[in-house]
Amino acid sequence: MTGGLADDDLKACCAQLYESDAVRWLLDGELHPGGERLSLRLAELAGVGPGRRVVDVACGSGDTALLLARELGCEAVGVDLGAGAIAQARHAARPGDRVSFLVGDAETLPLPDASFDVALSECSLCMFPDKPRAIAEMARVVRAGGTIAIADVTADLDALPAALRTAAAQVACVADARSADEYVALLRDAGCEPLAIEPHDADLRAMADRVEARLRVARMVAAPGEQRERVREAAALARMAIEAIARGSLGYALMTVRV
Amino acid sequence: MPPRDTLPAATRSICPHCGAGLDAELIERDGRVILRRECPEHGVIEALAYGDSGRWRDAQRYDRPGAAPLLRQTATDRGCPHDCGICPEHAQHTCLGIIEVNTGCNLDCPVCFADSGTGHQPDGYSLSLAQVESMLDSFVAAEGAPEAVQLSGGEPSIHPEILDMLAAATAREIPLVMLNTNGIRLARDARFAPALAALGIHVYLQFDGFDDATHLAIRGRRLQEIKQAALDRCAAAGVGVSLAAAVERGINEHELGAIVRFGVEHPAVNGVFFQPVTHTGRHPAFDPLDRLTNVEVIRGLCAQLPEWFREDDFVAVPCCSPTCRSATYALYDGEDLVPLPRLVDIDRYLGFVTNRAVPDVEVASALAGLFSASAAGGTERTGDRLECVACGVGLPEQLQRIAARGFMVVAQDFQDEWTLDVGKLRKCCVGEIVPDGRIIPFCAYNAAGYRTQVRADLAARASA
Repeated sequence: MTGGLADDDLKACCAQLYESDAVRWLLDGELHPGGERLSLRLAELAGVGPGRRVVDVACGSGDTALLLARELGCEAVGVDLGAGAIAQARHAARPGDRVSFLVGDAETLPLPDASFDVALSECSLCMFPDKPRAIAEMARVVRAGGTIAIADVTADLDALPAALRTAAAQVACVADARSADEYVALLRDAGCEPLAIEPHDADLRAMADRVEARLRVARMVAAPGEQRERVREAAALARMAIEAIARGSLGYALMTVRV
Repeated sequence: MPPRDTLPAATRSICPHCGAGLDAELIERDGRVILRRECPEHGVIEALAYGDSGRWRDAQRYDRPGAAPLLRQTATDRGCPHDCGICPEHAQHTCLGIIEVNTGCNLDCPVCFADSGTGHQPDGYSLSLAQVESMLDSFVAAEGAPEAVQLSGGEPSIHPEILDMLAAATAREIPLVMLNTNGIRLARDARFAPALAALGIHVYLQFDGFDDATHLAIRGRRLQEIKQAALDRCAAAGVGVSLAAAVERGINEHELGAIVRFGVEHPAVNGVFFQPVTHTGRHPAFDPLDRLTNVEVIRGLCAQLPEWFREDDFVAVPCCSPTCRSATYALYDGEDLVPLPRLVDIDRYLGFVTNRAVPDVEVASALAGLFSASAAGGTERTGDRLECVACGVGLPEQLQRIAARGFMVVAQDFQDEWTLDVGKLRKCCVGEIVPDGRIIPFCAYNAAGYRTQVRADLAARASA
């Protein structure tokens, strides 16, 4: 499934990729479908509010943790494997923000048991090589009765073309994505009780569209030769993803479970 | 007039048969928007106003308050559209001024809203240089710093003083000066394109398609070779060209994609303007409930060029009424074409999304300039604005340079006696400048009797 990359290499590759300026540009600063709007919707579904303690697993450069702390008055902790991303997140935090950021692996969270009301993770579970382990870790750090909130790419893997199931696509949240029901089953296996599944495929479509268009203009200015061909292939992959979204075999969903 | 974003919507219109002013209503029927009114003498009159009611509602989000001109030339007396010039009730300044320098033409097209031709107009006229200069001065007085002016006709290139008239416009520092032409003089007179280049003139070239049947139906002659020669001379001289296609149901709607494809490949062309045929002056028989609007034009283009365009690439232009004009810019490099709205969240910048501050005022103002009636592809001002947008939204530097060469595609639905909707007309930003200094909204000029009046007046003075 990982196309030759060892799991640790893959995780590091993902973490680095999302730190890069080029990727931020491709995604127009919105590192997951729906941007802030769906981050706030996910938090709303999870009951995040003033005084709540929230951990954002694979928080990247901290945008969502900062947004939730500032907009909803919660206390947020962000964890990410990328040291660079965590440094950016710490830099973005202002005095008075009730946020903290830690470098750490989602499969061994550097956090005590039952120390949060909510664990959320956006567009990340699909990329974790050992999903049951990452879910068990989220369940461990959330108190009994708290909520795990997942926003992720959903996929009917059998219906996807082979190219969308390679390692290159894995970092784009596609290759190891599952259907919403399968994610919820994984969460149920960890002892959680399903609460809500909310599909938002149109937001994934809009993001894929943006990426595809930006890759096509990137191809216009890429150096002729290998670089240009790689960008061209990436654009073709994005088109495949758009077609898969249109067919319903690729989507985006918000999911919540009670711990 | 309050903003209208629901149907039915009340407005005023006229009777296409007798010109009487009438209360009217925009209604929804079969997913389309119909303009309906009843004339005491001629009964119920209906015409298609917009081809998709969902898109009509969506476009109303783009209806932003207009800006006032410095001067208003007429008083409000009889009520819209009978006081034009501009009267105090008009809700927008003039982005693009048009001066029709003559009524004479070297063609006798079966389709001509201006009813021009080679000599059958008893009320024809030809303006003097002094008249045009005074009209330009009126435009400058009304606007302060006008954005764009177009010299038109008739066929303006056959006016003996046309170059002096164009020079008079550039001397008034109007950034975009256009010549609306059929291209015959450009093709035949080797000195004409270089003379336009020396003045920095942008050519607005009638270009309706490629088929013989299209040329014969719209222009009455096969003009393909003349168009090609005119364009090649413009390219050689460095004159930028917008192709202007009159599009009519059943005649050339199948050529939309081919026109754009030809345009992006030709070195002189940096934009295409699709104009559904205005059923005023001379025009073929038509069904007012089956006419083309911007919706059908954009759909047709997207169906013919699905690899390049889809419907949501076109943005309703906010400076005029949002169903008048839809536009897009695209980046093209010889292999691929990518519409700019796919790269930039235009709604976010033009401030249409509530609860969200405009992220960058400079970018927003550049976008507003691009999506206005004074924009033409390939001009210096458009290039600067595209570059500002490209930079403001963080496109890497190499991409900014490509963006600055953006190709423009516009659908522009002018109104006629059948479709005249006063609610739209009040927001009109394309104005006919007439010799007495009035500026008459283009669609009122054509549909509400002003063209006939002005011509009769000029002809009477010429024969006096």
